[in-house]
Amino acid sequence: MSNLREELKAQIIEQLNLEDLTPSDIVNDGPLFGDEGLGLDSIDALEFIVLLDTHYGIKVPDPNAAREIFHSVESLASYIEKTKA
Amino acid sequence: MKLVAHSFINASGLYVNGTRQIDLTGEENFLKKAYSELNIDYSKFHKMDNLSKLAFLATELMNEVVSFPAEGEGMQLIFANQSSSKQTDMRFIDSYANQGSPSPSLFVYTLPNIVTGELCIRHKWYGENTFFIQPAFQSAQFIEQAELAFSKGNTQCLCAWVDAKWQGNEECFLFLIDHSEGLLKPTELLEIYKSYTHE
Repeated sequence: MSNLREELKAQIIEQLNLEDLTPSDIVNDGPLFGDEGLGLDSIDALEFIVLLDTHYGIKVPDPNAAREIFHSVESLASYIEKTKA
Repeated sequence: MKLVAHSFINASGLYVNGTRQIDLTGEENFLKKAYSELNIDYSKFHKMDNLSKLAFLATELMNEVVSFPAEGEGMQLIFANQSSSKQTDMRFIDSYANQGSPSPSLFVYTLPNIVTGELCIRHKWYGENTFFIQPAFQSAQFIEQAELAFSKGNTQCLCAWVDAKWQGNEECFLFLIDHSEGLLKPTELLEIYKSYTHE
């Protein structure tokens, strides 16, 4: 299961054009959004929607749920695992 | 008006007031290296395109030798370049032409004046800002625009020629002008710019 987390980190770096970062710079349960995380914002949330659809065939129908799903690599991975189960 | 300070960044280094502070020669990613050398902790930097990174780094370095106005108004930004947001425009085109879908995170940087927005967010400047597209560095126009800004009550103008034609060919000449007594001539500004670019 940790492979999924590493895969997600690489996809986040590529999808969001964060070339300065490496997967090791991203903590599994660290916040992705806001100044304390990777500094991501609402535009990047759109990138996550594209990423989930493109790579995993998953759509996020409820915008309110997106805040929790996109919180961290861990929450993203958990959502993918739960949806794909 | 008088010139308070100037800084410059390109692939060879980071300079302030004519002196190289950080040697970036041979660095594959000189912007990343400069960020690391300046010991900055600002996660939004990694999201920026190269145009914004250039101006951000030049401003951070200048802020080590001068104090910018505190939060609020009084600071006007006057920026210009030749290539607009061309580098990011090309990457955005590639995202939808070859990578499958248009990238929102690239799209937001497909206007050059996003650079000034990034700096205003960082330093909490709420004054006016302008971004001109010009065929080359035009020192007289910067001074003309600064005079206009001071006539409106601004006290300082942060000016920059920041250009990113393609990877490895980026530069930012940043200079701070104050409204106080002094005579800043276009030729003086041009000579400083040329001294950095060896034109």
